[in-house]
Formats: sequence, C-alpha cells, structure tokens
Amino acid sequence: MLEVRDFTKYYGDLCAVENLSFDIDEGEFVTLLGPSGCGKSTTLHAIAGLVEPTDGQILLRGEDVTDLPPEKRNIGMAFQSTALFPHMTVRENIAFGLKMHGHDSTAVEERVEESLELVDMPDHGEHKPGELSGGQQQRVSLARALAYEPDILLLDEPLTGLDRVLREEMRGWLNRIQKEVGVTTLYVTHDQEDALSMSDTVIVLNDGHSEQIDSPERIYESPASPFVAEFVGKSTRFSGPVSREGDRAVVNNHNKAITVEGTGVEDGDDATLYVRPEDIEVSRTAEGTENEITGRVVNVANLGNRAEVTVELTDGNEALAHTNRFPDIDVGDDVHLRFDPERVIAL
Amino acid sequence: MSTSRPTVDGVAGSIGELLEGRITNSHLALFGLGFVGVFFILPILLLVPESIAFGTGEPLQAYRRATRGIYVDAFVRSFLYGIVTTAVTLALAYLISYFMAFGTNRVRLTMTLVIVPLWIAYIVRYFGILLFLSPAGPFADLTGIEPSLLFTTPAVIIGLSNVYLPFAVLPIYNSLNAIDGELISASRVLGASQWRTLVSVVFPLSLPGLVAAGLIVFILAAGSFLGPAVLGGPNQTMIANEIAGAFLNNFNIRFASALAVIYSILLVGTLLVFNTVFDLREVLGNI
Amino acid sequence: MSERSLPSPRRVGLLAAVVAVFAFLLVPVIIVVITSFTPQSFPGIPQEGLSLRWYGELLADESLLNALKVSLVVATSSSILSAIIGTIAAFGFVRGEFPYKEQISTIMLLPMIISPVITGIALVRYFGSLSLPSGYPALILGHTVLSLPYVFLLVRSELVTYDKDLERASRVLGAGPMATFRHVTGPIISPAIIAGSFIAFVVSFGEFTATQFLISPGTSTVPVVIYTMLRTGLTPTINALSVVLIVVMLVVALSSRRLSST
Repeated sequence: MLEVRDFTKYYGDLCAVENLSFDIDEGEFVTLLGPSGCGKSTTLHAIAGLVEPTDGQILLRGEDVTDLPPEKRNIGMAFQSTALFPHMTVRENIAFGLKMHGHDSTAVEERVEESLELVDMPDHGEHKPGELSGGQQQRVSLARALAYEPDILLLDEPLTGLDRVLREEMRGWLNRIQKEVGVTTLYVTHDQEDALSMSDTVIVLNDGHSEQIDSPERIYESPASPFVAEFVGKSTRFSGPVSREGDRAVVNNHNKAITVEGTGVEDGDDATLYVRPEDIEVSRTAEGTENEITGRVVNVANLGNRAEVTVELTDGNEALAHTNRFPDIDVGDDVHLRFDPERVIAL
Repeated sequence: MSTSRPTVDGVAGSIGELLEGRITNSHLALFGLGFVGVFFILPILLLVPESIAFGTGEPLQAYRRATRGIYVDAFVRSFLYGIVTTAVTLALAYLISYFMAFGTNRVRLTMTLVIVPLWIAYIVRYFGILLFLSPAGPFADLTGIEPSLLFTTPAVIIGLSNVYLPFAVLPIYNSLNAIDGELISASRVLGASQWRTLVSVVFPLSLPGLVAAGLIVFILAAGSFLGPAVLGGPNQTMIANEIAGAFLNNFNIRFASALAVIYSILLVGTLLVFNTVFDLREVLGNI
Repeated sequence: MSERSLPSPRRVGLLAAVVAVFAFLLVPVIIVVITSFTPQSFPGIPQEGLSLRWYGELLADESLLNALKVSLVVATSSSILSAIIGTIAAFGFVRGEFPYKEQISTIMLLPMIISPVITGIALVRYFGSLSLPSGYPALILGHTVLSLPYVFLLVRSELVTYDKDLERASRVLGAGPMATFRHVTGPIISPAIIAGSFIAFVVSFGEFTATQFLISPGTSTVPVVIYTMLRTGLTPTINALSVVLIVVMLVVALSSRRLSST
C-alpha cells in the first residue's frame, strides 16, 4: 500500500531522517513512535507531500508519488492542532476536501452526512470549530480526513492535546473507526501507550533512523536495542561482562552474577540487561534462588491497581519492581529481588 | 514548505510552480523593501548631497551655518524637550498602566480611553490644548483665572506629553500585564509588602516595556513639529520647526537638508549610545 | 491581582490620580467638541445655548469642503495602496527565509520613526526631481509610505500567529496553492488586512507635518486647513472642522477595531 524507500531529509546541514525504509500493508495500523525531534513528523509530512525529501522515494499503491504535490496524492490527514478551518462550519470543513476532490454537490452533501454519522456527530454540522470541545474537534478532523476515502490516513499526534481520560477513550474509538472503515493508517506519536495499545506494527524512530519495526508485543518483550528497551516501558538495567555456560549466560554485575536464558550475548561481550518491573518479585526473605539480589527500599509509590517499589542496590543503582496494591513493605526495609532468567532481556 | 518543486501537469500545477518556484516569499519581502527603499530611504539619503554645495568654494557652508547660534539652541532644545517629555510621559503612563494591569476589571474601557486619542489627529489635540490654555478660553470661562502658560516651554511640554502618552501606555501595560500573577502572590507570601513587591518584583519585570516606551516617546517628541508650532513661541522652536522654516519660508533647501542630516546623525548617535546600555533589538522587540 | 489586594485609602489615591491622568488625556478633545457649539465668534464654552452656526459656515465654505474631499480621496487611495503593499511585504517577511530577516524588517518601520518633517522635505524634493507633480500624486504616494508600517505590523502579527497546519490541511485535502489562498489563508487574514487599511486611512486623514510640504494650491487637506486657520486667529469654524475630522477618524477606527476583534 505505502512504501517508503531510503527516505532522507536534511534541513540545511542538519539531518532529520536518514535512509528510512518501511512498508505498510492494506488496512494496517502502523505507528511511528519516538521522542520529539526523532524525525517522525518529518517522515509523515514527506508522505503527505508537505516536505520535499532530500533523497529516497515514496510509493503509494505502487505509484511513485515523491514529486507529486500534496493535493494530488489522495491522502487523509489529521493534525495535532486539528487544523479545522476556523471560518467554516463543521459541514463546510468536511465538504471542502470532497469539493477539492471533484465530487459533485449531491455527492458532497451525502458524504458529509455519512461522515458526521461515522464520528457520532450528526447534529454538529452547523457549528463552528471554535464552539466544539477538543475531543469533538478531533472527531471532526478525522471525519474531514476520511470523507473522500483517501488511500491512506495520516495521523499526526491527534490525541496529544487531550487529557488522560479522554485520550484513553479516544484510542479505543479511533481503533474502532479505523477497523470499520478499513483505511490504511499511519499514526505518529511520542506516547508509548498510544503506540502499544492501538497498532498492528510499531516503528520506533530515534534520531532519524528506525531502531525496530515490529509488533507491539515484540517491541515490549524483545526490544532490539537499548534505546527501544529504555524508551518503551520501564525497566531496571544491569550491565557487565558475559561468560557463557551452555545455553545460559552469566553476566557479572557489581551486585551479583545474573543468569540469562537463551542466546543473544556471546562470551566476553559486555552485555546490557533489562528486567521489566512486573517481572521482579520483592520479598523480605531470601530464598537462595538464582538472580536474587538484595537492596534497601527507598520509595513505595501506590499506582492504584499496583504499587511500584524503588530499591537501592548495593552498587548504588536503583531497581524498579511492581507489587500488589498494598505491599507489606516500607521505605528503609532490606529486601530481596528475584527474577526469572527467561524474563531477562539481554542486549 | 519547499521552495522549488518539479513541474506538475495541469493549470493548478503551473500556478503552483509560479508560487513555489519563481516568486518566492523572499521576493515578496524584496518588493516591500523596494517600495520603502525607492519612496522613502532613497529620498532621505538624497538629502545628503542636497545639503552640500558641490563645486563652490565652501561646500559645507550650510553646515557651518547650522552649527551656530540659534540652530544649536534648536538642537539642544529638541533633545532637552524630548528628555523632559519622556520623563513626564513615562511617569503618567506607568500610573495608568499599573492601574489597568492590577487595579481594575474594566480593562477594555480604560484601554479604549487610552487608544481613542491615538485615532484623533495631532493638530486637533494640540488645538484643544491651545484652547484650554488660551487666556479667553474655556479654562478661563470656567474658573475665572486667565492661564498664562501659552507660548511658553511648559505649554510645549504639556502638549507633547499629552499627545504621546498613549504610545507610552501600550508597551508599559503590555509588559505589566505579562507578569505572571503567581509571581506577585509568591512575593507577598514570601513576606514582601505590596510596596516592596512593586519595587522588587513588578518594576524590574516591567523595565523592558518602560525602556521601549521611553525610546518611542523620545524619538517622537524630539522630532515634533506641531507641538512647538502650535503651543510654543519664538523661544520654543525645535529642530523640526527650523527645518520646515528654512524650507517653506526661506526656500533654502540646502540649509534645510543640512539641518535634517545633522539631526538624523545626532539621533542615530543617541540611539547607539542607548544601544550600549539597553539592547536596541530587544527593545524594538517590545514595541 | 484582584481588586481587593489594594488597600482602600491607597486605592482611592491611585484612583484619583488615574482619573486626573485620563482627564489630562481626554479634556483637550472634549473641549474642541464642546466649544464647537458656541453661538459666539470665539470658541468658548457655550453659555447661552447651543448653536450649529459654525457647522453652517463650514458647509457654506467651498474651500473647506474641497479640503474634506481632498482628504477623503488621499486617505482612501493611500490606504488601499498601503494595504496591498503592506500585506505583500508582511507575507514576505513572515514566510520568507533570508539572513538578517528581523533586522531588515525594521526598515519597513522607519517611516513611522523618522521625523515627518524630514520625510516631508525629502519626498517633495524627490518627487520634484522625478517631475511627479505636487498635489494628489505626491500626497497619495507620500501617505502610502507613511501609513505602510501600520498595515505591515498588523498583518505581520496576524500571520505570525496563523497556524500553518491550516494550509497544510488544505493542501492535503486536495486544494492547490491558489485554491488554498482563496479559500483558507485569504479569508482568515482578510480582517487584519481590512483593519490595517482602516488604520492607514486614519493615519493619512490626520497627517499634517509631512503633508504641508506635499500639497499644491487646491489640494489642501483638512489638517493643513486647520493649521492655517489656527495661525490667523481662533474662530469656532476650526472647531467645527475639527469635529468633522474627529468623527470621520473615530468612525473608521472603530470599524477597524470591530473587524479585528471578530
């Protein structure tokens, strides 16, 4: 459906994106995830034709659109600012794209009504965008982008301005609409929860190149690089030299030797290990199993459905572990942390 | 958006190409600059050759005359009146700006009262002051006292301060209004009195607006023609009056140009000195 | 800070001082208006009833009516010209990319800063050397230069806050550059352009200092006529003419304000 080939963009001497390539299949929901300044918006704007690539190609439905202006690409786009035209009503906003795409007036009228229905706002056609709430504006923005049945829908951080509760609600809603319409979607965000909860595929961008292109599960469970491991989800990090023992490896960390199941690290390497907080068990008593390290609790934060315990290890680094809601643990307690060698991410 | 893009077929494309390729935004800026350059900057620069008597025995004769006697007085007066007017105007403007920013909820009304005079021609406002100060005018009608200020230095200062006051209020109000209310609350909570808060928090934060206001008022007041022409007497002539007089009454273009050149150099010099104390670019950003 | 944070005696003092400053600012204009209704032949406060006598004199004086016509023609023409040029320049300076952009843009503001006496003699000499006649051509061009900074500032500040995503959205929605300007950018910034041209009108309508050099016999503007009359003696005709000037300027300025606030 969409192919990005070796896309490169320089602003003057500054490289925003370098040799980025990826494909999106028909109907797929793909997310470009990365911190601000990683090149994700530049990439999206290049696909829309709003930024001219320094190098590389963009193919839409197999056709090279690299040199086409945005108005010739048949793309739908929703912006973080919503970019609804303030001088037009909701209806006129939605009709604008249809008219510009050459639909006749009866077709325009029909499609506007359908689009308003689609986003559950049939009664808001005559409102000006300024009279709508943030969430409503984003819904109109989506209706406008989808009305003329674009080949691909580009979403540029559409949920970023919304508060947390609305944001979570909008995620599910957006996903439902996307599946209902079946439109191929490329979503840009810096929010890992957006990315993990909504996408079929996540592309993690860092400093203008892709770190990993994978399913949300794989991005979380098997990050391909330290950047991905640290950007997506919380974790505790250990590092040290590796010595292999059969199909296991032992990493000699300052705190203790840590056993890692499986491959990925070689004898003599310096390895970086990550353990997710939900994979670490905290207890007051030692059990003498492998991968048991000791430390002192410095903070217990209740997160509602669980608690997050921060433990200072003997080398001064901190480890994070999740426990049940009201752990029998207090700041200052000496505790033992245990984790399964299979749950250690080794890079 | 890109500045150049390969040609796209169709009419829209060729217009697009025109807009994005051949006529760039920089060309638009150049057009504006060109207009100001040709019809403003160039005419003013041409005053320099105009002021010099090329091919005569004494090419700088106009300058020799301009740096003597009553003309020196006029230059000095322009700068002095400019400074005094600035001081008076800033004090009055600070008072009402402070009131507008912190003392009232009727900002729209008070702002309108400040701006309305800006929309009324200077000549009418000077005329109003002239009427007010004239011995047989409304002030005398109402109080029975015949004011004797007319055609004196105070009359000119009153006129200049009156006319340029709104120019000072706008930047000062903007800088006061931009002060985060929490900073003032913080100062009070930390134990500062209201007066102390004004001196140690509010005033320093409003300084950029005050400096910008002072700069505008000084430039406008020092170059004023109408103020001294309507409200002053022969002993209140400022440089703008001498320039106009040389040109309109004596048809001495060379001399008028020489006065204009000297005044402009003095003003730029003042701005450069000003620039060493305050960053002029930052000040202009506040206007 | 809320009102109650000012203790009341101090607040009364501040209030009195503020009222005094506002009186200082507004009384001259109010006096001009009130004394225009005097039946006497000196502009004093009308004590024996109001009279429109001096407005009648105004209507009977052909040269005064002519000055009003000249002022209207010059202000209208120059405000249209400066609206066009100022808008183009504002686009260039906001959207264009070139070195020292901010510094260069102050050149656009110079006509507002240079003493209008200097502008006046410079322009009259320059137009003379170009054989451009005094009167309408010189007045219109001169006033265009003088009012240009106001349009430039207004439109520029509108464009700076203008969300460029709106143009991006329009392009993605299928509109080319021209259609985008016609349907999106144009309608959104046009109130600022119109407001700017109204301010330019007001600036032109009230300009005296540079104008006195640019007029020709038969093309005196209202401020020039007022000034000339002031020099020959105070009569309430000056007041009547001033009030006409005030009314025109306020009506135009208030409509400009209404436009820019919507």
